[in-house]
Amino acid sequence: MNPAIQVNHVGKRYGRTVALHDVSFDVHRKELFALLGPNGAGKTTLLHILCTVLQPDEGTVHIGDLNVMSQPTQARSGVGVVFQDPSLDDRLTVYENLNFHGLVFGVPGKLRRRRIEALLKLVELAEWQEKLVRTLSSGMKRRVEIARALIHDSRVLFLDEPTVGLDAQSRERIWEYIGRLRSQRELTVVVTTHYIEEVETCDRVCIIDRGRILAIDTPAALKAAHGQQLLRVVPREEATACEIMAAYADATVRRNTEIIVRSGGDEFAEAFLSRFGRRIRRLSVEEPSLESVFLALTGREIRDQAAGARERTLAFGRQGGEHTR
Amino acid sequence: MNEVAAVPRVRIGRTIRLQCGGLYAIWLREVKRAVRDRGQLIGGVSRPLLWVLIMGIGLNPYFRGEVYGEVRFVVPYTYLQFIFPAVIALNIMYTSVQSAVSVIWDRQFGFLREILVSPLPRATILLGKVLGGATVALFHGCLVLVLAQFADLSLSLGDIAWGLLLMALMAFGLTSLGVVIAGRIRSFEGFGVFSNAVILPLYFTSSSVFPLDPSLTSAQTRVIYPEWLVVLVRWNPMTYAVDALRGAFIHFNQFDPWMGPAVLVGMAVLFFALALRGFGKV
Repeated sequence: MNPAIQVNHVGKRYGRTVALHDVSFDVHRKELFALLGPNGAGKTTLLHILCTVLQPDEGTVHIGDLNVMSQPTQARSGVGVVFQDPSLDDRLTVYENLNFHGLVFGVPGKLRRRRIEALLKLVELAEWQEKLVRTLSSGMKRRVEIARALIHDSRVLFLDEPTVGLDAQSRERIWEYIGRLRSQRELTVVVTTHYIEEVETCDRVCIIDRGRILAIDTPAALKAAHGQQLLRVVPREEATACEIMAAYADATVRRNTEIIVRSGGDEFAEAFLSRFGRRIRRLSVEEPSLESVFLALTGREIRDQAAGARERTLAFGRQGGEHTR
Repeated sequence: MNEVAAVPRVRIGRTIRLQCGGLYAIWLREVKRAVRDRGQLIGGVSRPLLWVLIMGIGLNPYFRGEVYGEVRFVVPYTYLQFIFPAVIALNIMYTSVQSAVSVIWDRQFGFLREILVSPLPRATILLGKVLGGATVALFHGCLVLVLAQFADLSLSLGDIAWGLLLMALMAFGLTSLGVVIAGRIRSFEGFGVFSNAVILPLYFTSSSVFPLDPSLTSAQTRVIYPEWLVVLVRWNPMTYAVDALRGAFIHFNQFDPWMGPAVLVGMAVLFFALALRGFGKV
């Protein structure tokens, strides 16, 4: 049996900016697969290529047996997509939006009504179906979009940052729905996110940065391979900070005062303490996490991405410029 | 053998259902959006009232076969009757071109992507959109028809049927034109300005408010239009479209009667083809 998705040597550039460089991976059937990376890493570009909105410059993508480039219409009928930005018609009601989708995907009448009803119940919006979409909150809109992506026979579900901009409660709910859906039907889910805590529950995680894949594995394996114990240190004096930086070449500074030192384990920590112990104001030990995996692979923390104007513009360009908004 | 034959038949049935269902869904969405947009309806009602009741009735006395109080010609229709078909065309023009705003809207608010990831071919999507916009425009054209009694028009059922067909063709062509324009313009404001810059010149140079042959209106017997204006009017396809409507509603043609319908069909085909070429480039 073919994997649900096969990506082979896909590359994409916008002008001189390389958005994706030689990206290859497989997604197995029924897997919950996460694309993890900071903003502008190329996740959305990759997802747009997978769901046929964008054409790659090189490489091939297969969904099931179908080549996304040569058989896009057939490929689309087995794919559900939830885009990063809302794509509902807010002048139509919730029901009308879902019905539109069903019609456009050729879902026959009875089945369509049954699925709309069941999915609205699943995302807990059954009593909202006659409301205009513009009256819904952003969390509710996202739930409508998830329901919409599953009205036709989608075997693969793409979610582009499904929880971004939502409050903690809504975020939790969305993951709950995804879990419930996966238990109800054969569904492969590919999700992009830059929230590290969300990928802990995924089957496999693909870490992507600056258009390149850095690692693909289960969260546990990633932690075992790349995860490191981290020491977060706040020294008392500037001089100590300099000394630490000099002693450990891979140490990095955060927020001016905090230094992150990659620890080799408990013995390393002990040695560190005996040398600097008295000159340190605060120290915390962080056990291996995906956060530290990301740091180890990219040399920076995923949350350091309060990107400058230039980086934001680049990220925007990689997502396809103004008209994909 | 039967099983082998059955598979394609099922697939064809599926394809037809998909195409028809999709076409219907997109058409319905356009119509629903227009119905819920009160502003559009107000424009559709106020425009003909202004043109027919105020312009038409106001200028009616100046469009007579009289020069300095003396009747020289017998003109077979009044000014009101003369501009009536043109006002229908105007209302259709405005609504058609404006309905293409939904293309910009969809792009701006992401709905276009939802449609583009569907298994529908681009042509079906565009056809649904254009048919939806054309339906609304045709309806707005009919709003003018309601005023027919003010213009003393007595219309037979045959006239109305033929007229509606021509109006539908016109609405289809102009909505496609709107999509072509919308494909080149990214903002709502820009579209408003640009569409006005297209609609009004097209309207005024389509021999809509004055006949091309000045001898038809006595007050202008000695007036000869400047050459540039005549050239503009003759090159404007809307001239022939308006002429076709005049043929249907007041049985008067300035040109060969077949010219109008032919130009309308040509516009519909050409603009749809152009719209299709630019559509779907996200």
